[in-house]
Amino acid sequence: MRVYQCEDSLEGIFTAIYNTYEDNCDRMDTRISINDELFLFAEYIPVETDVDKALKVINTIKRRFGEEDYKRLCFALVSREPEKAQAVYRTVAKGLSKECRPGHLLDDLADDSVNLVFSLARATNNEYLHLMGFTRFAELQSGILYAKIGPKNDVLAFLMPHFADRFPIENFMIHDEKRNLYGVHPAGKDWYLMRGEDVELAESSLRVSDGEMEYQELFKYFCGKIVIEERRNLELQRSMLPLRFREYMAEFK
Amino acid sequence: MEWLATGMEMSLMDKLGILTDAAKYDVACTSSGVERKGNGRSIGNCVSGGICHSFSSDGRCISLLKILLSNECIYDCKYCINRCSNDVPRATFTPEEVCTLTMEFYRRNYIEGLFLSSGIIQNPTFTMELIYRTIWLLRNKYHFNGYVHVKAIPGADGELIQRTGYLVDRMSVNLELPTAEGLRTLAPNKHRKNILAPMRQIQNGIHENKNELVLYRNAPRFVGGGQATQMIIGATPETDYQIINVAESLYQKFELKRVFYSAFVKVNEDKNLPALPGGPPLLREHRLYQADWLLRFYGFAASELLDESRPYFNVMLDPKEDWAVRHLEKFPVEINRASYEMLLRVPGVGVKSARRIIAARRCGNLTFADLKKIGVVLKRALYFITCSGRMMYPTKLEEDYIVRNLTTEKDRIQFGSDGMTYKQMSLFDDGSFQRPVTMQEKLLSAVGQM
Ligand code: SF4
Repeated sequence: MRVYQCEDSLEGIFTAIYNTYEDNCDRMDTRISINDELFLFAEYIPVETDVDKALKVINTIKRRFGEEDYKRLCFALVSREPEKAQAVYRTVAKGLSKECRPGHLLDDLADDSVNLVFSLARATNNEYLHLMGFTRFAELQSGILYAKIGPKNDVLAFLMPHFADRFPIENFMIHDEKRNLYGVHPAGKDWYLMRGEDVELAESSLRVSDGEMEYQELFKYFCGKIVIEERRNLELQRSMLPLRFREYMAEFK
Repeated sequence: MEWLATGMEMSLMDKLGILTDAAKYDVACTSSGVERKGNGRSIGNCVSGGICHSFSSDGRCISLLKILLSNECIYDCKYCINRCSNDVPRATFTPEEVCTLTMEFYRRNYIEGLFLSSGIIQNPTFTMELIYRTIWLLRNKYHFNGYVHVKAIPGADGELIQRTGYLVDRMSVNLELPTAEGLRTLAPNKHRKNILAPMRQIQNGIHENKNELVLYRNAPRFVGGGQATQMIIGATPETDYQIINVAESLYQKFELKRVFYSAFVKVNEDKNLPALPGGPPLLREHRLYQADWLLRFYGFAASELLDESRPYFNVMLDPKEDWAVRHLEKFPVEINRASYEMLLRVPGVGVKSARRIIAARRCGNLTFADLKKIGVVLKRALYFITCSGRMMYPTKLEEDYIVRNLTTEKDRIQFGSDGMTYKQMSLFDDGSFQRPVTMQEKLLSAVGQM
């Protein structure tokens, strides 16, 4: 068996897929791994991430399977599941090996790899949808809107386009504190991501604006007033809004 | 202006409290139905599935800033907290206050947009004009590009309703009560025909707008997210059968996007109101929502679900299970061959899993293990299906036996002060059931059930 070891990123994993094709691998006897797992009698091949190679794979995937399925693969690839790279590789290789119309890459849910990709993509998508609603911005003294999130899956790069489209005229910033990653959107310009190490934020620059607490209080008050006491149902609330999101939400502070 | 004078001294916080409290019984408040990209110049976009921004402690989704413009009202609807004969604190927002709250909440991502309704100030036309002016300001001065849902006030000048329609994403006229008779007893100032007239007007407006949009792609949109309505359940004596028939004809004849059902909460003492010792009829409301889904997405007709001789839904079984056990001659269904329509009628199979079955079986015959992976709720479905000719366990195709098995499970829905949960619902296997729809559908499946 050949094991391609790559870094845990979309580019890394797509590069690995490229290399397996370049090396004419037998897909039944090849593995893509994002950690240091060890197998007896395996040949280990390190993968150097190469954006050009990754792009070629991405273009092939988009052309053969369509944008929607490409997006689902990306969603699967930002999950925390260590098997994700292998599952995506198997799924893509299987799709490429036969006739597969766009939008049908993940049809065969009886196949374990396809099923895993499907489930991971769904979990990421759910978290992404949650955060489109649950992310909370606070206005800083500088007028910048600042949000902190702590998602299980690496969804920041998907959230940014949504908020950039929604708040084009705002300066805003989303901080994924789990990965120490920042999404930055300067008003009227394109957004970009930054590693926490490269971001210098003085404590004082995170001070909220004068009006900020008033709006937080108003919203909190609103959330209390909207409740119909006769229908009180904390269990339902908890299943719809899992506790792990609440530490980031103004109305639960 | 004289109408602004009331409550001028009141703080914004106090007004927000009063006017949220007064609006909370309105249920038609999802943010779905419109996909609109940002315009790059101002704030806001719309996502067709709708977005839930929070959940209140009654488990309901908070998506829009749901408020009344005013809780002053000249009418005296018996079920309503704002009726003129009630002695409650009154408040009225200024249009600027509504706009500022909407904008500031929106940019903090608290909300998806605004839901604005109002008590009747002076008369319906005057009230509608205030709503129109508020939304006009929000769109044209504050350049808000997010979701807006307003109530059309029955009896208001048609021209105003028309103009408002071009500013909003959704409009709704409340049916209030399922039948004209119910309306007569509990809302003496309202008339069925005054309610249906603006509904028809909005329906026609949407149609004409579709034609305009064909001709001119940039023509302004009229109520792009469609029309909705709501009715109160359990305040008047209508049966479930009557109610779903009303809903069916609203969908068919008025092309509504959604009908919402609101379990009656008794806020006033009145001899014409029922006692409701068990609290609001939540289970009944729940069954009606389930049936509503069957009408809209599962190809059922109201007459298949209930009839004159069985006018109420089964308490123990959901409407689809109930239908299935009464039609055992149609089962078992062979998963590898059945039509999509028939798959949809199997308890434990939802719209998504039916689609997945169709897609997956092209790649090979499906087994029960595969169905599980696909998301079919086997413990519900197993009585009604075969895979390659075999049932999962030897079971009897016999009504009593199946009913007993379907209803003895521990995880049936529990209704109690804090026990009511939609989580264990069987009907909509992959999360396709929660009151505000679509986006919320997906949220439910996130918590990993159904
Ligand atoms: S019109 Fe009737 S339902 Fe509406 S606010 Fe007035 S009293 Fe309440």
